[in-house]
Amino acid sequence: MNLSRLVPASGKVRAGLIIAIFFVLLAAFGPLLTSYSPQASGTELLQPPSGTHWLGTTQTGQDVFAQFVYGARVSLGVGLVAGIISQIVSVLVGVIGGYFRGLSDDLLYILTAVFLVVPGMPLLIVLTGYLPSRGMVSVAFVIAITSWAGSARVLRAQTMSLRRREFVEAARATGESRTRIVFSEIMPNALPLIASGFLFSVIGAVLAEAGLSFLGLGSLTTTSWGSMLYFAQSAQAFLYGAWWWFVPPGLAIAVLGAGLALINFGIDEYSNPRLRTGKSRGRATRTSGPHAAALSTAGAAAAASGVDAPGTAPVLHEDGVGEVAGTEPSEGAAAAAQLRPIDVAGEPIIEVRNLKVDYPGIDRVVHAVDDVSITLHRGEILGLAGESGSGKSTLTNAITRLLRNPAQVTGGSITYHRTRARPGGSRGTDPGSAESIDLLGLSTEELRGYRWDEIAIVFQSAMNALNAVTSVGAQFDDVLRVHRPTMPAREREALARTMLEKVGIDSDRVSSYPHELSGGMKQRVAIAIALVLEPDVIIMDEPTTALDLLIQREVLDQVMALRDEYGFAIIFTTHDLSLLLEVSDSIAVMQRGRLVEYGPALEVYAEPRHPYTQALLASLADMGALV
Amino acid sequence: MSTDFVKASEQGRVVLEARNLVRDFRTNKRAGAFGREQFRAVDDVSLELRAGQVTALVGQSGSGKSTVGRLLAQLMPLTSGELLLNGERVSATRGRAFIRYTGTVQMTLQDPFSSLNPLHRVSYTLGRALRIHGGPMSADEVEERSLALLRKVELAPAEHYLHRFPHELSGGERQRISFARALAAEPKVLLADEPVSMLDVTIRKGMLDLLDQLRRTEELAVLYITHDLGSARAYSAQTLVMYHGKVVERGSSEQVIDSPAHEYTQRLLAAAPNPRRRLAG
Repeated sequence: MNLSRLVPASGKVRAGLIIAIFFVLLAAFGPLLTSYSPQASGTELLQPPSGTHWLGTTQTGQDVFAQFVYGARVSLGVGLVAGIISQIVSVLVGVIGGYFRGLSDDLLYILTAVFLVVPGMPLLIVLTGYLPSRGMVSVAFVIAITSWAGSARVLRAQTMSLRRREFVEAARATGESRTRIVFSEIMPNALPLIASGFLFSVIGAVLAEAGLSFLGLGSLTTTSWGSMLYFAQSAQAFLYGAWWWFVPPGLAIAVLGAGLALINFGIDEYSNPRLRTGKSRGRATRTSGPHAAALSTAGAAAAASGVDAPGTAPVLHEDGVGEVAGTEPSEGAAAAAQLRPIDVAGEPIIEVRNLKVDYPGIDRVVHAVDDVSITLHRGEILGLAGESGSGKSTLTNAITRLLRNPAQVTGGSITYHRTRARPGGSRGTDPGSAESIDLLGLSTEELRGYRWDEIAIVFQSAMNALNAVTSVGAQFDDVLRVHRPTMPAREREALARTMLEKVGIDSDRVSSYPHELSGGMKQRVAIAIALVLEPDVIIMDEPTTALDLLIQREVLDQVMALRDEYGFAIIFTTHDLSLLLEVSDSIAVMQRGRLVEYGPALEVYAEPRHPYTQALLASLADMGALV
Repeated sequence: MSTDFVKASEQGRVVLEARNLVRDFRTNKRAGAFGREQFRAVDDVSLELRAGQVTALVGQSGSGKSTVGRLLAQLMPLTSGELLLNGERVSATRGRAFIRYTGTVQMTLQDPFSSLNPLHRVSYTLGRALRIHGGPMSADEVEERSLALLRKVELAPAEHYLHRFPHELSGGERQRISFARALAAEPKVLLADEPVSMLDVTIRKGMLDLLDQLRRTEELAVLYITHDLGSARAYSAQTLVMYHGKVVERGSSEQVIDSPAHEYTQRLLAAAPNPRRRLAG
């Protein structure tokens, strides 16, 4: 079973490995296949391939096949030795410099930079010219000296980013020594880079050796692929059409290089346990004892994010797992959904009926959204509560049609009730023209008009949702140019300024870049951009989770004021139930893909009916919220 | 629920004391011909951590509360001020003295998703911590003690977790592994930097209950760094509120949170989301 795991899944990697193994075997055992010596000249000059000389002969009657297989030893040998030496140097320089910083790093970095700017091949030629002996090892050594710098620089950068990772600091806080931190915490994480650096050094060294020998700078008494090419060139094999002399070594160099490059694709798969185990190992089931109960829910987190679905899939819908610490595990999962009628003044704008979204896993399907029905009314704030993995993001993504593979809508409908016609972007005058749109059936083109015009989204981390390299004004422009193509530039800017003022930001900030704004301001800008087309619905996905308490309060107040002004409806997603209870008109609580409680916020707060909601509220109270 | 112990543990022996801690960081702004402008992240902070007692350090991001934690863990040198461990002055940011210090003072970090090396199994992480502080021991002994640690942080069955990789565990489980690693040193002081802020609300209570239990059973002096006043009130005896690097308010948690004296604390409390705000109109 371990053996089968060693076979890479990717075809590229398999091909690369087969090529590499072929050449290694050729170098190791090839000489046993031939009775000729690579140097010995014979009487048959410049013969094409035949039964006696498999790859023909050279101008002096040497056997090309013998030269080819003995040459493989030298070429591969030089490649490996040079690759190893060069990688050791780059690891020492890169990792030590990157981790310890300070003066030693400065000096090492200057050294690296010097080697980077000195052109490699001329330096190689000069150094080889002065070599007392041109044996395999000394040539490899010179090649290594000229080639370590690029890889060292990459490793230094990687180490500098790794040393700031929390696990390095945690290891330090545990009392781990620096050497240990470098060699067993940081280095293994840099292994993909080290390994791919090694492969490229080997390729580079094989090529450099061939280049040197071709120029006649290698040892002319040992046979390598490079020296074969040198002699073929000097004997004008090309003119005589003696392709069997130069094609095998040339092709071998190219194919070996390609093979090693292909192996590179698979390095990540081996060094990252996450990628390694995700596929093949059937996961042992997660604990579901009373102790683990409190924790097991978070396991579902990954499942709904889609990416990890195959690995964590079994967690969802495992029965008998209690959710919240302090509750008995048994009844929580089984209790029926508690749905209360919602009486909100506005008419329905989005109706989700019996929606089902699945993530097909390897051994079972994850029902990320399972038979959920909710209705959003005009002007309503619908709070969607649930921890990570409960399916709330999948639900909102289904509404905005942002679901990505492998998510599949397997049942139900989402209907959007449009009441205004909007030809060419101006507000229609006929409020009575109601139209029901099946959101799940929209084509890509229709979808574009519907997104942002009708439904806008504010993401959790505005820091990431805003484009870092364009100004705030340009990001308003992006939206307006697509959706209001006829609007002149001056009006666009004026509109952007107005919207900024609406969210409490100085209108001159229109020319600012995101990094010049604070976290709260960025989130306000994101809200302003969402509002610019005056959509009917705004989906806010954890809009304040990343903000400090005081800023969160300001942003919330702003959102409420804007809602009163524009009358849009909001689907507000967060795991902070106390926040939801405060701001929303109605609350939908999701747990493992199902809607467990749905009703007016204050009623749910005053009298939670589902055990899960009850436990949630109780644990909030225990932790000092809601007091 | 947890107010009963607050009074009971008011009197504990002071294990770690910080006097007038100051920490400056160099910024990228130039000052003068060669210098850089300094930014004072921690400004004259003094606090005492008592055995068997949780002290909460509350503040917003950027208030300097995490820096205080790192200073107490000696992960970075002090600009000025002093640390007293069991009444004796200590200064050990590196070498053997630092390792000895970590035997008494352990710190756990905020992000459970990045505070464990993704390439190491739980057994390695715990085994290293045990070997660093317990001296040489056989593989069997390491395994036995690792299992005991896992049980201590209520990961059951412990055998199930020992050979897992971090990515196979949930956030809460990882945070418990971090606690187990800290406990491997059999510390007297545990500095918990935002132990629950990255976790789902439903898991938070379990983590805080665990912290509370460890405080009692291990007689730990705990510094609970958080931005959440509510949980500070529920789980700690003393609360300090930090603002711009300074401690602006301190006292028993009840007193600080029920009748805040400083304007900043009052604003924080007022900003906390609470449905009662609506009921009150």
